[in-house]
Amino acid sequence: MSLDLQQVLPQVDRLGRETARRADELMARLPAASQLLDQAASLDPDELRRRLSAAPPSLSPARPSEEPLDLTVGLPDHPPRLRLVAADGSQVYPDRHGAAFFYLINVGSLALAHGSGQPPQATTQTRLYFDDNDVNDSRGLPVDTHLINARRDAAEMTRLAELAEIDADGPTVAILDNGLLLWAASQEQKATRPDVDRVLREYLDALDRLRASGAAVAGYISRPRGAHVVGLAEAAADRPPTAPSGLSDRVLFGRRLSAGQRSARFVHPVKLNDTFTDRGHQVQFFYLHTGAQDGIARVEVPAWVGEDPQRLARVHAGLVEQCRVTGIPYPLVRAHELALVGQDDRRALEELVAAALARHGLSALASQKAQTKRWTSRRRRHRL
Amino acid sequence: MTDRLIGRVTRCNIQGFAGGIRMTEPDLPTFGGLCRAPAQAERTQVVGLIYEISIEDDDLARQMAVADSPQPEARLDQQFVRPIPIEIRALSVGYFDGERIVYDLPPQPPVTLADIHSLRVDEVRRFTDSFDFLPLVLAAPEVPTDSLLAAMFRQAALSRPETERRAFLLRAGRACARLLASDLARLQNLVRSLQG
Repeated sequence: MSLDLQQVLPQVDRLGRETARRADELMARLPAASQLLDQAASLDPDELRRRLSAAPPSLSPARPSEEPLDLTVGLPDHPPRLRLVAADGSQVYPDRHGAAFFYLINVGSLALAHGSGQPPQATTQTRLYFDDNDVNDSRGLPVDTHLINARRDAAEMTRLAELAEIDADGPTVAILDNGLLLWAASQEQKATRPDVDRVLREYLDALDRLRASGAAVAGYISRPRGAHVVGLAEAAADRPPTAPSGLSDRVLFGRRLSAGQRSARFVHPVKLNDTFTDRGHQVQFFYLHTGAQDGIARVEVPAWVGEDPQRLARVHAGLVEQCRVTGIPYPLVRAHELALVGQDDRRALEELVAAALARHGLSALASQKAQTKRWTSRRRRHRL
Repeated sequence: MTDRLIGRVTRCNIQGFAGGIRMTEPDLPTFGGLCRAPAQAERTQVVGLIYEISIEDDDLARQMAVADSPQPEARLDQQFVRPIPIEIRALSVGYFDGERIVYDLPPQPPVTLADIHSLRVDEVRRFTDSFDFLPLVLAAPEVPTDSLLAAMFRQAALSRPETERRAFLLRAGRACARLLASDLARLQNLVRSLQG
């Protein structure tokens, strides 16, 4: 072990103390923030809009939907039959010190028909990327991790669309283990914009297919860290602060929601949402008390789910039911398990690649640096 | 006839081997089943008699076990879809040396991660044509020998045409009677198990 615990121990102690102090400080601000949200809810909509547009950008306030800001919605009845499909992905990034330059995307999915009495269907789709077009971006440079992540996200959404298009006995809710916005599309450097745009088109096409299938889709975020609703409440105050309070929406709604309840819907304020809105998939979100240990989750839905009471009720009831045993939706737990590429899998994949290279007369040697890392990764201590 | 992979060796010695694998419930091997694992750079195949099958738990299974009422579909997922981590333990009862069957402990055990396959029906028939492996089973400590032999004989009988099964079981009973002549209680127990 390289870590000198003697050195770390006092620092860990200070970390614990500092975290506790910060939590106390935030909890002291909570009643005031909750009150600000109530006050914002009572404002005239035009006045609220005016205050939000004048707010400092650092508050990044959520935009209201047509629902009252202080709305809480109780748990709807669960339909007798509900099909839940979930997808999650993982990847092996390219290794420039490896024997060959490639990357891999693995998407796991589970389709569970609640009320059917039938076992669910589990699938894993694995694709190795090694063509020039795959491993180089449009500038001819090796792909970076943002682009690979974006391709993984698009593969997950496409898998959800495929599963939603299968005829089912009863309505379908498709669940993604993340928010619905394709983050790489807002983080990528301008120079690789054409590559990201291509993936974004693929992602939005999959959302089109989901809408056409009649399914509802939801992005599930466990332990969310966002503060857009707190930002909204602060921005709507008589004297808005110039900087965020540090309080998260999760803490705020932990106080305001009971088990099974959801908050009002809000519109995601980031600029990327304009692109989604133009394609008819404006991303909205609400907070949900799942009744589980982690309590508050953020759920993102496109407007065509948020504004359709039946689809929204299915998402609400379906997620709470699926969280009952495992804390986060059971199909997501399993999709994650099916997607995960562990260290043993990576090693097996490297061996397969090395064997394939050898069969074709190529040396399967990793770089000297990769080899030395391998030599030292398993430290042995000799008994003195 | 295809070979059915039922596990990979995780630990072993001359007397037997243990293997682990994740598989779904319908494919689980059975108590008293015969299996083989390669040894000596595949020159020999050690034949094992499965005397223990343990289903390991994991965090997700534990979480679901303590839930008030897991939804039926999730329970079915755990039972029939999600591969269960299992461990099998087998007693070495002989080995294939090329085409020759040797009813004795193998010269070397299988190596770690060697594939464990169920014996094919024709291999079960060949291996159980002789009962020379019985002393190895009867001498094994801490193994439910009588039930194990009864289970193995019943499965071996099924590998034969229906008309030969009764004669095979009678032959097996006689072979055991010879070896257990001094222990009538065990013999009686074994015969009762065979009849069941």
